[in-house]
This record gives sequence, C-alpha cells and structure tokens, in this order.
Amino acid sequence: MMAETQLAILFTSIALVVIGLYAAIFVDNIIKKIIGISFIEEGANLFIVGIGYKAGGIVPILMPNMDPTWFASNASYPLPYGLVLTSIVIGASTLAVMLALVMVLYKKYGTLSTKVMLADTSKQEEYNE
Amino acid sequence: MNELIPLMVIVPMMAALLLSAFSKFNRVIKVLAFVVAIILPIIPIASNYGLHFFGGYQPMVDNVTNIVYHPAITYSFTFMQQIFIAMIGILTFLVIFIYLTKYKKVSGSYLFLLFMGTASVTALILTDDIFHMFVFFEILALAQVGIVAASSIDYSTEMALKYMILGSIGSPMMLLGIGFLLAMTGTVNVTDIVAIIRGGLLDVTSPVFLTSLALIFFGWLYASGLPPFHTIKSGIYSKAEPHGAALLQSFTVISMISIVILMFRIYSYLPIFEFLIVLFSVIAMILGVSMALTQTDFRRMIGFLAVGELGFIGLGIGLGTQFAITAGLFQALNEIVITALLFIGFGAIVHATNEVDTRKLGGLLAYHPKVGIMLLIGGLAMAGVPPLSGFQSKLMLVQASLNCGYPELSILTIMVSIATFVVFVKTFYSMFLSPKPHDLEVVDNDVPRAMVFAMAILLIVIIALGIFPDIVTNGISNYVGGMLL
Repeated sequence: MMAETQLAILFTSIALVVIGLYAAIFVDNIIKKIIGISFIEEGANLFIVGIGYKAGGIVPILMPNMDPTWFASNASYPLPYGLVLTSIVIGASTLAVMLALVMVLYKKYGTLSTKVMLADTSKQEEYNE
Repeated sequence: MNELIPLMVIVPMMAALLLSAFSKFNRVIKVLAFVVAIILPIIPIASNYGLHFFGGYQPMVDNVTNIVYHPAITYSFTFMQQIFIAMIGILTFLVIFIYLTKYKKVSGSYLFLLFMGTASVTALILTDDIFHMFVFFEILALAQVGIVAASSIDYSTEMALKYMILGSIGSPMMLLGIGFLLAMTGTVNVTDIVAIIRGGLLDVTSPVFLTSLALIFFGWLYASGLPPFHTIKSGIYSKAEPHGAALLQSFTVISMISIVILMFRIYSYLPIFEFLIVLFSVIAMILGVSMALTQTDFRRMIGFLAVGELGFIGLGIGLGTQFAITAGLFQALNEIVITALLFIGFGAIVHATNEVDTRKLGGLLAYHPKVGIMLLIGGLAMAGVPPLSGFQSKLMLVQASLNCGYPELSILTIMVSIATFVVFVKTFYSMFLSPKPHDLEVVDNDVPRAMVFAMAILLIVIIALGIFPDIVTNGISNYVGGMLL
C-alpha cells in the first residue's frame, strides 16, 4: 500500500517535471512557458510531500491525550510538509513577479511570443553596435 | 552576544519592509536607509563568534543512533562569515549612499530590493540548513530580478524576465536535489547530513545521492553564473544601474561561495564533485575572458570579466586542499571589492558621457583624472598586478594548483590573468588615453562625489588587502581547516 502510493506520487511528480521542462523550453507562448515552470515547481513540491507519506499514519499534531511513543511511531513525518508550505509561498511570489514582468512586456510588444519579445533584445543590441 | 547573529539578517529585512511601507515619505526613508546602511557593517564586527539556534532549540542526541542532531535552523558565525558580511555591509552602505545622493526623490521599493538582497546573502552565508539556503536563494533571485527590472536602461525588463525564467527552472531542480537528500537522511541540516554520511548510515555511491548532487549542482551553476549561465549573468549586470550592478555581482559571489561550501561539506566524499567544480570553473575562466575581449559595451565587458573571475574562486575550492580553498575564498573577497570598484567607476563614466561604447569614447583622462586612475588601479588589481589584492589571491591559487600536482592549471591561471590584463588595458586605452572623438560630448564635467568617495574606500581596501593579506587569510585558513576536519 505504502509503496504503491509513494510510487504513484513519484511518477506523477516526474511527469509534472518533464512536462513542465518541455513547456518551459520548447513552447513559444510566454504564458504557457510560465505554466510549464509552475508544473516543475509543483512536481518538486509533490515529490517532497511524498517523502513524508506514511501508510495509515496520522496527522503529525500531538494532542494532549496522546501517548508520545504511540504518536512517534504512527504520525507521518512533518518536516517535508513544513518545507513544502514554504516552497509553495515562494513559488507563488515568483509566479506573481514573472506575470508582472510579462504584463509590462505585453504592453510594450503587443504579443506573448518569446521569439518576438526576448529575441528582440539581442537584435536591437546588434543594431546599436 | 550571540543575539547579534540573527540581527544581521533581521535588521536589513525589517528595514526593507519599513522602507517599502513608508515609501511615500521621501525624507523619512532617506534617513532610515542611511542609518540602517551605516549599522549593517557594524553588527558583524561587534558580534562574537558562535552558533545561533532559532527558537532556542539546542542540539539533541538521538537515542538509537547516538548522533547529535539539530532540530532548529542553525546559524554559524565565524571569522569567514564575519569578514564577508562586513564587506557586504560596507558595499551596501556605499551603494545606498550613491543612490541616495544621486536622486532627490528616492524609491522605497528600490531600497527594499537592495536591503532584501543584502539580507538574503547574509542568511545564505550564515545558514547551516540546506532548505533555509534554498529559501534565501529564491528571495535573492527575486531581489536581483527587481534590481534589474527597476533600472532605466533599455531592455532591462526583458533581461530580468529571461533571468527569472532560467532561475525558475534552476531553483526547482535545486529543491528536488534537497528533496532527494531529505529522503535519504531525514534532515536538512548540513551538519546532521555530514554526521550521517560519516557514520556510514548512507551509501554515498548510491544513484539517488549522485542525482541529488547533479540537481543541486545545476542550481549552483545558475546562482553563480558559471557556464552555461554566464551570458545571462553578464547580461543582468549590464542592464542594471551601475551601483546596482556593483551590489549584484557581490550577491553572486556570496551565493556562489556559500552554496559551494555547503555542497563541499556534503559531497566532498565523491571524487567527481571536485572534478566537476574545477571543470566548470576552467570553462568559466576561458569563456569569461575570451568573451570580454570581443565586447564593445564596457558594462558587458566587466560583466564577462566578473564571470571569468568566478572561475578562479571555483578553481580554488575545487582543488580541495586547505590552502587552495583559502585562496579561493580570499579571491572571492577580492573579487567583490574589485568588481564593485570597476562597476561604480564605469558608472561614473556613463554619468559623464551617456555613452557605453568604448569605440565612441576617448581622451577622458583629461576630464576625469581621479576616476581614470582609480579605475586603472582597480583593473590592474583584477588582472593580478602586485602589490594589489588580486595579485595575492591569484599567486596563492597558482601555488595551490602546483601543490596539488596540476601545473597545467597554474599555467592556465597565469594565462587568463594576462588575458584579463590585455582586455582591461585595451579598454582603458580606448576610453581614457586615445584621442577624443570629435562627436563625443562630455555632458557632465563633475562626477558625483559619492561615487568618487565609494571608489576611494574600495581602493583603500584593495591596497590594504594587497599589502597585508594575512589579516584575512589566516582567519579564513582556520575556518577551512575546521571545515575539512
């Protein structure tokens, strides 16, 4: 049971990372690229959540009437959840900043194509030289 | 007085938040930013060495394995951290001083980014916790992107977005690597991970361990701007305001050394680790200096030279002996100061001429002799000319590679130094010594005094470290000796 769930989590996270990498590298539309980047982040988060999984485990909150020894052997490992929570917050702020930059660039170029938006920089620099 | 250790991170972070909140009150944020910028280098100098456990959770002994483990985020503060944090504090002060004197109306958000970046690198170098490192690595990336996007230079937003997209691929990779380490060891504290590895509880040749190395290494390459990220790194330097670029490069150097030190402690049991670091450093040295040769935009040229210098740091750390790592860290300290001097000096030239193309400049020594001479000394220090600080660290690196039995690396080090010298002298000649082109207008005959003041302070540090390197190298060497035990 435990191995199956963890394997499912592992394969899902690998799939998310691979799909995300494909989108981030090969797709031209900047919004789709950013969605791909979110996929990679969520894949990493899911993987870390999977580490803390324990089959039949309980929520790692020690209630007053619980026996600490029983709790220690039955609770799932809380550290990964703490880490993922932080990671999600960071991911959200990164996403917000990226989308804000895209808004600025969309107003400037009127397109979401990275070929136009980002390649234009180097062309302009060559022209200046 | 170990309570001062977390204050090194908390003070700039609180200042950043306050500056952002009160950004409407111009005078208030000017005074606050100036006061906090003065305090920043004082805190590490006043603080005692030691450890700080967040929440007061002391280390505990595991009853089963008898290994001591750390339940709280731990900050460790030694001479090495002290010197780097003090240097970053001085640099932040100078940059803030330049910024505050340059504009009548200052931006609270921009000051927020500068202080947030400083807080992040301080946390990066203090922390003993690999996830904590990741968190501040991300905050630092956001601050860097902000500093670039806030600049008034053309195409800075595009460059910021490019950097951000690459970073958003690099940082989840690092997070995955940390996840792999967590899965194998159950902890994110580096001291605990090292204890587990030394206790033989972890198979260091397992594919999972190697994968975690590969993933964290990828994140480190992005953070430090080593190849394949060297172009984007020099790009963001050239698109930031000059004083911002001076701070950005110091952020890069500090994040590079703090992440590589944590990696070194975990992965130095694998021979491939040191080989990888040396390999990428050598590529960075060669690519950095050869790409700098072809640049006509001098901001871009300094950017590539800065990337090449990063290779020297990596080379020292990759060689792995006490002397070599000391040389690498000393080189890192020198690079922070020298590159900052060059960025600020060239910023003064942009201010005076509104021109960045070296082919369109000339004869500036007659207009700005102070800036010219200080830039020349800075460039010579970067190329490793005695008796300046760059010479001492590069000499140590050459000796270190000879001691380790790699004379070819020492030859390469000398050749790259000579090439750096050529690049710099060529640029200096065309900007300052060659005849002034007829169509060049020197818009402003006065360079801002704050810039000259900042350059003078940095120059004093360069000369002092060049003549008395022992004041720094002895302490760093002791730290490295403790790390290698």
